Order: sequence, then structure tokens, then C-alpha cells
Amino acid sequence: MLVQLEVFLQTLIAGILLGGLYALIGLGMTLIMGVMKIINLAHGELMMVSMYIAFTLFTYFNIDPYLSVFIAAPLLFLLGVAMQKYLINPVLKVDSILPENQVILTVGVGMVLANIATLIFTSDYKSTPVPYATTALYLSDIWKDSPIELSFSLPWIVSFVIAIIITIGLWFFLSRTDTGKSIRATAQDLDAALLMGVNVKLMRVVTFGIGSALVGAAGCLFIPMYYLYPSLGGQFTLIAFVITILGGLGSTVGAIIGGLILGIFESMTATYLGMGWAPVGRFVIFVAALIFLPGGVASLLKRQRLGK
Amino acid sequence: MRHLVLLTTFVFILSVASAGAVFAQSTFDLSISLPLTGKTAKFGEMQKKSYEMAAQEINAKGGVKGKKINLTFEDSGGKPEVARSIAEKMVDVKKQPIMVGEYTSACAKAVAAVAEERKTPYLVVASADDDITQKNYKYVFRLNPVSAHYDDALLAFIKDVVKPKSMAIIYESSPFGTAGSRNMVKEVEKAGIKVLVNEKYEAGAVDFKPILSKVKGANPDVIYMVSYVMDAALLMKQIKELRIDSRLFAGGAAGFDIPEFVENAKDAADYVVTSTLWTPQLNFKGSKDYANKFKSKYGEFPSYHGAAAYSAMYVVKDALERAKSWRQDDIRDALKATNMETAFGPVKFEDREGYQNQNFSDTYVRQVIKGHHQTVYPQNYANAKFIYPIPKWRERK
Repeated sequence: MLVQLEVFLQTLIAGILLGGLYALIGLGMTLIMGVMKIINLAHGELMMVSMYIAFTLFTYFNIDPYLSVFIAAPLLFLLGVAMQKYLINPVLKVDSILPENQVILTVGVGMVLANIATLIFTSDYKSTPVPYATTALYLSDIWKDSPIELSFSLPWIVSFVIAIIITIGLWFFLSRTDTGKSIRATAQDLDAALLMGVNVKLMRVVTFGIGSALVGAAGCLFIPMYYLYPSLGGQFTLIAFVITILGGLGSTVGAIIGGLILGIFESMTATYLGMGWAPVGRFVIFVAALIFLPGGVASLLKRQRLGK
Repeated sequence: MRHLVLLTTFVFILSVASAGAVFAQSTFDLSISLPLTGKTAKFGEMQKKSYEMAAQEINAKGGVKGKKINLTFEDSGGKPEVARSIAEKMVDVKKQPIMVGEYTSACAKAVAAVAEERKTPYLVVASADDDITQKNYKYVFRLNPVSAHYDDALLAFIKDVVKPKSMAIIYESSPFGTAGSRNMVKEVEKAGIKVLVNEKYEAGAVDFKPILSKVKGANPDVIYMVSYVMDAALLMKQIKELRIDSRLFAGGAAGFDIPEFVENAKDAADYVVTSTLWTPQLNFKGSKDYANKFKSKYGEFPSYHGAAAYSAMYVVKDALERAKSWRQDDIRDALKATNMETAFGPVKFEDREGYQNQNFSDTYVRQVIKGHHQTVYPQNYANAKFIYPIPKWRERK
């Protein structure tokens, strides 16, 4: 019985920690989705780019991956701004047979990024073997007679905490600053925002930059406990996509909750169904969200607010 | 005038061609198909270096029957369809009487089919899938052991030294991982060891802790894992984080057997044992020379993939020297009669246990001791004493 409890709690911890990081990946995509009304399918590749930045800084300059958040995130901001300004904006202006050709453009950008990474870093697996990679805190260290043993991995916890700090910072930015309010205005009603004197074009550029910076930060937080290779992006684009749908397109709170749900759900399926089922679980959630909760978590939140 | 130009050109082409033919007669041209790009490129690269090293040595000593070996390499990228077309080109266009190489089992199968069809002997160097030499092919030979025998030494080690009652198996959902797990389950159940957990995972998983907490709850005596490099390191790191105190952590070759495993898993890799087909510490004729030469040239010890490639070159040389003529059938007969010692171990192509033309070499167990892989089992090959029982995580450091 105690053993079962231990397994359950340990799984839950793993799920929450994973979910926090997923949320950060999803946030960037959902933000871009909200303002631009397009899904950025190069999202995972942007994360891959930031991971390579962190890897290079660690390998050649011995800079800790957590510190490279402050270098990689601004660089990714610039990359995002450049993508929006010189690639996506021109495409937005062009009439085409396909209504969503910006989305297709992001797929192309993702492929280009992955192939450039292959050219520079080869397709070998790389990692940043940090000295604290396997450091963990144990329940029995704090509570001597604890009947069960739980472990809290240090890098996972640090990454989780930084992810939360970034999320709170983003919330603060969106709700308290002029630029943040303008972004939200653009997301809610583009024409109205335009009439109120919001520089919509600039907001789009800024949003794409922030979205990229967020996933860039996520990349740096991931690399101490993971590894990287050029084609790793697709996997994370998919995760971000599922979270965006689950959270409700464009909702930041929804993305956070969606990330946590996905993290916990994946961990639970791994423990109680088998690890091979985790990807299946991901799609079951995706399809279920589309069928039963088309507006995502955000629609639940809204419904409650209206009820009051 | 125009006729004269044409004629001179024709004569010129003819003379160049015949000069080429004369030149070709003093060398033996051998094309080898390998993955030099793609996911398995790392292994292909190591094999290429090893083939070249062996060919240089042979040429320095006068070549094969006075002819220098002229090696060229073709990149199959690990794709079976490409490997097949390369093999067809070798046989049909280049008229090469023998083929060597490839890395993945899928590619080796494609080449083997061509070899049998065109009646050209083919030496498989490092592809493990059992059924490559189970198809009654007359012209396909295999130097490396089959995957069903990869864990022979490890199993003996587990049965003789650890004597466990239970086991947990975690494996990658690839043909190699699935075959490894299937063989292990079959063998341990025969020995009365209970398999408590038998789980596969998708390569590239981020977090193994859920599955590992389940393993921890089941409390097995041995944890056996079949993984590629990065997953192997992640698994051991997270086992350390969760402090799972099994009596033995064992890996099935591949990811656990290369220096990158220790580099990435660091102290979590300590005391992990792994199956292997060859180690730089072995005492076969030329093993140590090869290992040291490779290390001084490229900075790191080769793994069994390299040693097999290096030895394959010598097996080919040996067969070519004994063959009555360098026609396909004569070379095939010479290969069949091979009985020699190489850096990889003794080589002899036998028909038994349902395999044809299969070399049954020994496998070994290596353990990570103080950050380095040491050969620990079977004892007559060991260069270090195995460490067992291993210390509990809490007591380490």
C-alpha cells in the first residue's frame, strides 16, 4: 500500500515538473496564435536553436545553461522579430490560393533551421553534462522517519521554478504594461485596436519576438536534463500544439493549465499503462479536447466568469 | 579532316581505357557500402577508418598476391534502398567479385538479397538481426555474432554471480531493442528468474521517472536495459536520482558500451555492466595493436564496430589468397573454409543452430569502473575484477 502511494506521488511530482516546462513551451505558441491567428509550426525548431546556443556557450565558454537563458532568450527574440518582419509580414500581404500560407511558411522556416543545425553541428547527439545533473533532494533528508521516500531532482526543480518566474513575469507584462495591454487588445479585436491607435504591425512583431524568446528560455531550461540533435524540434512543436489546443487557442492561463494537464497525464500513462502509451495518450487528449472542449480550458474559465 | 579528328579521339579514348585496364590489374579495387550520413553515420565513420587502417597495413606488406587493395567507399545513408542500388552497381557495373560492409540490419538484408541473386559472396560485418544468416543463403557470410547471442556472457554473469530472483526490462521500441528484450525474457524465464516489469519506450523520451518509479515499486534484483546512447545515460541518471537500489544494472551493448555513455551519465554510470562483442583489452592476435593504433590516430578507443571492420579486411585478404581464382564461386569456397584468428577473435563460418555461414564468436561483459569500461567477464578474458555487490546509492561518495 505504502509502495503504491510512493509510486503514485513520485509520478505526480514528475508530471507536475514536466508540466511546468511544457507550459512554458506552450505559452510562446499560444501567444503568437492569439495575436497572429496562425500556428507557428517552427516553434520546436526555435527551441532547438536556443538549445544549440546554450550548448555552444556551455562547451566553448563554460557558461551554465541556466545563465544562458539571459543570452539565448534575447537572441531568440531578435530571431523571432526578424522572422516576422522579413518573412511572415511580406507573405501576409500577398494574396494566395491557400488562406493560411503563413503557416506553411513556418514549416519551411523550421526545415531550414533544422538543416542549418545539421550542417553546423552534424546530426550527432549533443549534451551539456552539468555537474549537478543528478543531484536530488530526498524526503527522508528533511523528514527522518518518513515511511516513503520521494526524490526531487535539483535541475528539474530549478527549471520548474524559473519557468514559473518567467510565466509570472509574462502575466505581469501583459496585464500591467502599455505594450502588454496593446498586445492583448490586438489579440482580442484587431480592428478595434487599430482604431484605438494601437500600432498593430509593431505589436505583431513584438509578439512574435516574445513568443520565440519564451520557447528559447524553455530550451535552456530543458537542456541540463535532456540532450539535443537537429531534428528534435518536431516533437516539441507537437507538444506545444497539443497544449495550445487544450488550453484554448490564444489563452495564456489556458496554456499553463494545459501544460500541467498534459505533463501529469503523460506521467500517469507511463506509470500505469506503459511508457509506449505516452504518445498515444497525448493524441487522445488532443482529440478529446477538440471534440468535448473545443474552446479548451479557456472556455471553461470564461463560462465560470459569466456564471457569476 | 573531320574523320581524322574523330579517329584520333577514338584512338585516344581507346589508349586511355587500355592504360586504365593495365593500371587496374596492379590493384584490387574494392568498394564498400557504409552509412556516412544519417543517424548511424558515427558507426559508419568508425568502420571506414578501420577498413582503411587494415588496407594500409596489408598494402604496406605487399598487398594481396602482389596487388594493392584500392578501397573506395559509397554512402548508403543507412537506407536499404540506397544500399541495394549500390550493391547492384558493384556487382553489375564494377564486376566486383566480393562485397563487404554495411551497418544496419535493414541495409545488410538488402545487400544480402543482391549477393545471393548475383551469386557474389558478401561478408556482413556488424549487422545483428538473426535472420540475415537464417535464409539458406549460400553466398552470405557473417563475421559478428547474431543478436540472439549478444547477451550470452552477460546472462552467464547474471546467473553465476548475481543469482537474482527477479528482473525488470526497459527497452527501446526498435527492432534491436525488441529483439533484445524478447531474448532476455526467454532466457531468464528458463533460469527461473521472474520478469516483474517489461516495458518499452519511444526513443527520445524526456522523462523516465514515472516508469522508473514503477520499477522501484516492483523492487527487482536486476534492471536490464536496451537503449541508444542518450537514453542509456538518461536512464542511469534518473535511476540515481530515484535511488533505485537493485543489485545489478545491466545494459545490452549499443548505448551502454561506448565512452559517450560515461561522459554523459558521469558517476551514475559507475558499476553498470554491459554486453559487448569486443573490447580493446582483449588478447587476440593484433587486438591491442589495432586498438592502440586507432587511439593514437583518432584519440579514442574503437568499439566492436571498428574491430569487426578491421578484421573483415583481413578475412577478405585471407580468402583472396587461398581462392583458386578470383571468380565469385572460388572466393565463396575460400571464405567458407576460413579458419583464422583476427583482432576480433577466431573466425570460422559454420552452419549450426539454423544459421548458415555464421561466425560464432564469444561475447564479453564490461563494467564501468572508476569512469572506464573494463572487461570483467568471462574471467579468462578479464583485465579487471568485477565489482559485486555494488554499493547502494546512498552510500556512494
